[in-house]
Amino acid sequence: MTTSVLPDDTVLASGVLAGQEWVTIRREDLRDSMRALKAQGFESYLFMTCVDHLATPVVEKPPERFELVYQLRDMRAHREYRVRVFIPENDATAPSLHDIYAPANWDERETWDMFGIAFEGHPDLIRILMPDDWVGHPLRRDFPVGGEPVDFSEDHETWQTAPPEA
Amino acid sequence: MADTKIDQTPKPPPPHAGEGRGGGDQSSLAQGITITRTPRHGIEGDLLTVNFGPQHPSTHGVLRLVVDLDGETIRRVKPVIGYLHTGIEKQMEALRWQQGVVITDRHDYLSPPINNLAYALAVEQLMGVEAPARAQGLRVIMCELTRIASHLIWLGTSGIELGAMGIFMYCLRDREKIMDLNEEISGFRMHTSYIRPGGVTADATPRFLELLDRFIREMPSNIDQYEDLLTHNPIFQERTQGVGHLSAEDAIRLGATGPMIRGSGLPWDLRKDRPYCGYETYDWEVAVEAGCDCYARYLVRIKELRESVRILRQALDRLPTGPVNVDDRKMLPPPREELETSMEAVIHHFKLFTEGYSPPTGDVYVAVESGRGENGCYIVSDGTHKPRRVKFRSASFGNLQALEHMSLGHILADFIAIIGTADTVLGDCDR
Repeated sequence: MTTSVLPDDTVLASGVLAGQEWVTIRREDLRDSMRALKAQGFESYLFMTCVDHLATPVVEKPPERFELVYQLRDMRAHREYRVRVFIPENDATAPSLHDIYAPANWDERETWDMFGIAFEGHPDLIRILMPDDWVGHPLRRDFPVGGEPVDFSEDHETWQTAPPEA
Repeated sequence: MADTKIDQTPKPPPPHAGEGRGGGDQSSLAQGITITRTPRHGIEGDLLTVNFGPQHPSTHGVLRLVVDLDGETIRRVKPVIGYLHTGIEKQMEALRWQQGVVITDRHDYLSPPINNLAYALAVEQLMGVEAPARAQGLRVIMCELTRIASHLIWLGTSGIELGAMGIFMYCLRDREKIMDLNEEISGFRMHTSYIRPGGVTADATPRFLELLDRFIREMPSNIDQYEDLLTHNPIFQERTQGVGHLSAEDAIRLGATGPMIRGSGLPWDLRKDRPYCGYETYDWEVAVEAGCDCYARYLVRIKELRESVRILRQALDRLPTGPVNVDDRKMLPPPREELETSMEAVIHHFKLFTEGYSPPTGDVYVAVESGRGENGCYIVSDGTHKPRRVKFRSASFGNLQALEHMSLGHILADFIAIIGTADTVLGDCDR
């Protein structure tokens, strides 16, 4: 049932996990591959997100720290497809897909906001969920789960300092 | 907008006037509406930038919309979200797998059991377990009740926005019965945390089944009442028919889901097309309307109310007997009475509440149909007792991106109807 939808030379790894197909490709092939997938019927873009693999205990370590995950769906063939791209920490950029899949626009803003991945070619890459003046990217694993020590003290200096046990 | 008056005296811009970037003089008006005259030139003269919200009554939560107007015609819409961001995904990473259920209630606060279900199904799929038949039946019952409650809130508030003040009370009257049912089965009225990985928190009580039966019998005539108030109401039709056109192609292209695409004539429902919890065994129909406008989306939701009642009737009539949780001591705690006699049970109990369980390494995406569309949960496990990443694919986030496309060229008054039928929940959108 699993038929390869991308040319073999772009696929770094592929598999099926819990009945869900996935494929890993190179960052430089991302735009071409997504265009090819859209032409093949994967017209519905479900979401894109990032996974931070910092200090992962997994034995088979992921090749890079950040992993972008795109989930696509072919609504006619009832088929879903997951595309993974690994992004190195020292060059946290990726090509923007906003012109191929329109909903990628907000997802890329969110990923920039939360993980600090810069999307090249994005028309308006600004924070979407956090306040404009926020420092740091909260969903990175090295960003502590902190909080405001006193309720609504409006003390901006202490907002982002986590308790030592966090 | 008839009573708004532009104050021409220049004032210093507020510190976070994000949209004030274009320059121009700003002035504050009543009800949190700020108007900026932009120096850009529109099609017929100056564009007027109006700031909706974030505390506008018709924005269904804390949504801010920056609208460029040419006269009364909308030329550009820019949603500004994030006012209800509560860091749910970050919190999930700091909690154990079974604790996360409580957080999932809170992002789409109008459909907690459906959010629970997406998360529970994802964890179950990763661990390779399946909830028992009675739990599946109870899950369907709770999800359909929640869908009805969510649609009732939508119907009531959208009615108020379009001037139909009466319907809100009828909707809330019936939603109250669902709240009572929630309380009876789980102990909580809103954030039930009822569905959890491996099953549900408690079995249905006889009183719950009795109340549910009465609710199902009453509901069809109640839905007729709502329809009497709105469906053939000429004012309501005038406000919604032909407003907010969204074709099926555009809906898919822009990432809209749920009643938004079904109102565009596309019979796509995850309960039918990617069934879960045994939805394929129930006899029901996907609600579709080909109108592509606000009125079609209204009709879709009304039909969904009726279909939900139909599913509820079947689910109640053939609710299987048996356990409501998987018999897996590594995943769910042992029964209270075993703790007094079995050392093994005490060990399991202790391990579960100190360390928790660890799904195998991997990632999985599970999508369920909420009242608003596709609410999915993508989880990544690194083999430890806490998730590496939990991502919620929220329907409101997708539907809100189609808002600009739907409202361009319409007048500002129609914009209220369009925001209403998009049915966004900002807690869901901002997570």
